[in-house]
Amino acid sequence: MRKSILIGLKLAVVCMGASLLLGFVNVITLPAIEENRRIALQNALAAVNRVGTPGEMVIVEGSRVVRNFYPVFLDDGTISSYILTVVGDGYAGDLIMLANYELNGNLIAAVMMEHTETPGIGDAPERAVYYEKFIGRGADVPIPTRRSQLTVAQSDSIAGATITFIGVANALAYGSNFVKNKGE
Amino acid sequence: MVKDLTKAIFKENSIFIMGLGLCPLLGVSTKVINALGMGAGVLFVLVCSNIIISLLKDFIPSKIRIPAYIVTIASFVAIVEMVMQAYTPGLFRTLGVFVPLIVVNCVIFARVESFANKNTVMPSIMDAIGTSIGFALGLVVIAFIREVFGAGTITLFPIGNFNGVIEIPGLINAPIRIFGLAAGALFVVGILQAFINWYIAKKK
Repeated sequence: MRKSILIGLKLAVVCMGASLLLGFVNVITLPAIEENRRIALQNALAAVNRVGTPGEMVIVEGSRVVRNFYPVFLDDGTISSYILTVVGDGYAGDLIMLANYELNGNLIAAVMMEHTETPGIGDAPERAVYYEKFIGRGADVPIPTRRSQLTVAQSDSIAGATITFIGVANALAYGSNFVKNKGE
Repeated sequence: MVKDLTKAIFKENSIFIMGLGLCPLLGVSTKVINALGMGAGVLFVLVCSNIIISLLKDFIPSKIRIPAYIVTIASFVAIVEMVMQAYTPGLFRTLGVFVPLIVVNCVIFARVESFANKNTVMPSIMDAIGTSIGFALGLVVIAFIREVFGAGTITLFPIGNFNGVIEIPGLINAPIRIFGLAAGALFVVGILQAFINWYIAKKK
């Protein structure tokens, strides 16, 4: 019994040392990581925005997919579109995207912010060309969420990463409905 | 100690001789810069882990050595992850899931268990440096072949006006795509292993 406790205590000492070291490194690196995230967000907002100026971020409570949104204002103060942070279920974790929608739910542009998909296979949504199959859809024509709704060329572009495609498509479709249901 | 270093680089090369660490090899050896980044990450984690384990080998009871190794290795991998995320975010995004997966890289676990656990600090450091250099060397050679033939480029670090990408005339417009895929990686590893085995046999 005493021997087991001693062994447990020794493991606890190792874990404690590791925790202290990680805490120290975290304190040093966190400001730089936060700054990188802020720059990445600014770049992503600039990449998806077409007209107007994004306003303040509005947090969305109780939604698994839409985390927050930015209303985009024209010079006269009217809202031209909504930029949403949407989260899809990928093969290896969350797919966090920024997507800009017209008020009728049509997708204007989208970019991938963070993901943990397999490099070289599931990282295709990092490229702007990936979203061409979704852009201009969402209002009259629904956003494709199944492989059968794609053309042959589009279907080829998601080969090997179908789960990633479904995650991206479902999140974008949810975002489209979210904007439509805002009723503005 | 120099013998430990050279032995780990050539005679016991983790990729070509021992066949360890092939999973990250397949994943990250698509670009030379990825191979350099992964090699640097493995070097840091292995050197630090070997130092800690060789220092604590008498303190850690045999029954809990595996969890103690995992905690140690995972901590240094988390440090690499945080430092990359903070200061080289582009490389961190490119390496993606393979950075956390250094925790379960057989190369690191094998050296910690078979060498650092039985030796003092200095030989453990030399072994870690040799193993990491051998691993990085293998990664870079394979990445170089795959990138040149599979993409027609050589991607290095951007410096000043140089964007870091060297384009290979002829191959840039007509690359051999199979080299960029996992099958291409296995093909290159197989060919290089066969060549090294042939060379060793000839030398004997």
